[in-house]
Amino acid sequence: MAYDKPIPPKGLHTQPFWDGAKEGKLMLPRCTSCNRVHWYPRLICPFCHATEIEWIEGSGEGRIHTFAVQHRAFGGWAKEVPYVTAYIDLAEGDRMMTVLRGVDAEHPETIEIGAKVRVEFEEADEDTHIPFWRVAETS
Amino acid sequence: MAANLKNAAAIVGAAESNEIGYPEERGPKVTSLQHHIEAIKNVSDLTGIPISDIEGVFSTGWSQQLAEHLGIRPHYLDTTTVGGCSFQVHVHHALAAIHAGIIDIALVSHGQAGWSYRGAGGGGRPVAGEIDPGTEMTIPYGVFGAPSNYAHAMVRHMHRFGTTPEDFAHVSVVTRQWAMLNPRALMFSKDTNPFGGPITVQDVMEARLIAWPLTLFHCCLVTDHGGAVIVARPEIAKSLRTRPVWIAGAGESMGHQNMLEMEDFTATSASRSSAIAYEMAGLGPQDMEMAMIYDSFTITAAMTAEMLGLAPRGKGYTLWKEGHAAPGGRLPINTNGGGLSFNHSGMYGMQLLVEAYRQLSGTAEDGVHGIEGKQTNARTCVVNGTGGTLSTTGTLVLASDE
Repeated sequence: MAYDKPIPPKGLHTQPFWDGAKEGKLMLPRCTSCNRVHWYPRLICPFCHATEIEWIEGSGEGRIHTFAVQHRAFGGWAKEVPYVTAYIDLAEGDRMMTVLRGVDAEHPETIEIGAKVRVEFEEADEDTHIPFWRVAETS
Repeated sequence: MAANLKNAAAIVGAAESNEIGYPEERGPKVTSLQHHIEAIKNVSDLTGIPISDIEGVFSTGWSQQLAEHLGIRPHYLDTTTVGGCSFQVHVHHALAAIHAGIIDIALVSHGQAGWSYRGAGGGGRPVAGEIDPGTEMTIPYGVFGAPSNYAHAMVRHMHRFGTTPEDFAHVSVVTRQWAMLNPRALMFSKDTNPFGGPITVQDVMEARLIAWPLTLFHCCLVTDHGGAVIVARPEIAKSLRTRPVWIAGAGESMGHQNMLEMEDFTATSASRSSAIAYEMAGLGPQDMEMAMIYDSFTITAAMTAEMLGLAPRGKGYTLWKEGHAAPGGRLPINTNGGGLSFNHSGMYGMQLLVEAYRQLSGTAEDGVHGIEGKQTNARTCVVNGTGGTLSTTGTLVLASDE
């Protein structure tokens, strides 16, 4: 079935991320001056304000920082309710947003903040493979 | 070192548009412009300040259109648009402009047909060809509007402090109590709305889930509103028939724009904006006799109370749970019924200002503004607006003459 959820338009400086995603790699921007990874991708390092940013392949591992269970949605997401949105602390630092997989949205009390998660990708269209995060079997 | 702007200007009047809430009975939809113009006319009538005397216009992007519509040529324009706290920020900027001697009389205006034109907006769809990277990296993930975002903050608060959805439900219960003293509140009674006051914690918990742990009753209303206040220099403020409410302190701050950059999901920049405002005023949270706190959601109000120093960290909800914030309590909060029960047009900061002015000028209880029990004895009020997704804040410390 065709992907029916929002597909982001691509910005001018984020192409390495989408190129990596097509190969199943989580590419992250890192400042060549202070070596810190940041998210979302910037034109300037938000920590030291250097402008030389490189892309590195991330480990694809992280932990749940916080989450919520969405019961009201529109478009392609409407048929998925309830589903769990979350912010993920990346192993490399900083934070990503996602829809969590491998969790029971009907029982939010079973979802653990701090639980280990791993990235996976879903093909939305030819140019867009969207990262989602799944709770690891054991945390 | 910044100059101390304490009491360099006063709010000299506050008014609303003629019909707020769900103004459907009126026939044709009320436009946002109409809400602006009615409120401006009403505040001019209230204060006796002719519209032609307005020298500065402050609004969320409307200033040119309003000035032209009113046939005035202001020499100070401000269109700061930072979400619901824009109006606290406008008052801060007006205070500075008056202190600097650029203008004597400022108009801050709000008009938003949140109900009449619900669903008519852009819906947050990105513009082709240009997208900010924060939006690009969050748009795939099924969040729709404020509640779906704010729920993440409540879950983190519960994790860190051991709070429960029931704890936050008390905020909603208490604002319904205040709404029952305000005939203009959408949730004034079961007659004005099936969800009207009174309600119980159980009602809040059993309401429809929007974004767990937020049920419908944890979320603010979506209504129409127009409101306007006039800010003037002290010599003018003292000469009017209305009572001045002094701007003793003002501050603004931002934490983030995109929630991705919210470092601590249990804290907002209100700790900084209020620190600036308290310092300017030479007052602290212990000196505040009431508070008007943006309550887009129960979590917003409870967390902000902590940021303003009105309660210890993690304990903001206790102000409501223990009845302190309620009618007759030691620290009345959101005496108009709040965004949860009175009115929330999308950007609620003007409603905060109007009610703070009425309380401190002694005009909060007259049949239009409220019925018996709504008027408090407060002489000081901390007003805090929150804009975006717990992003930007503006704090005012207001004081009456006594």
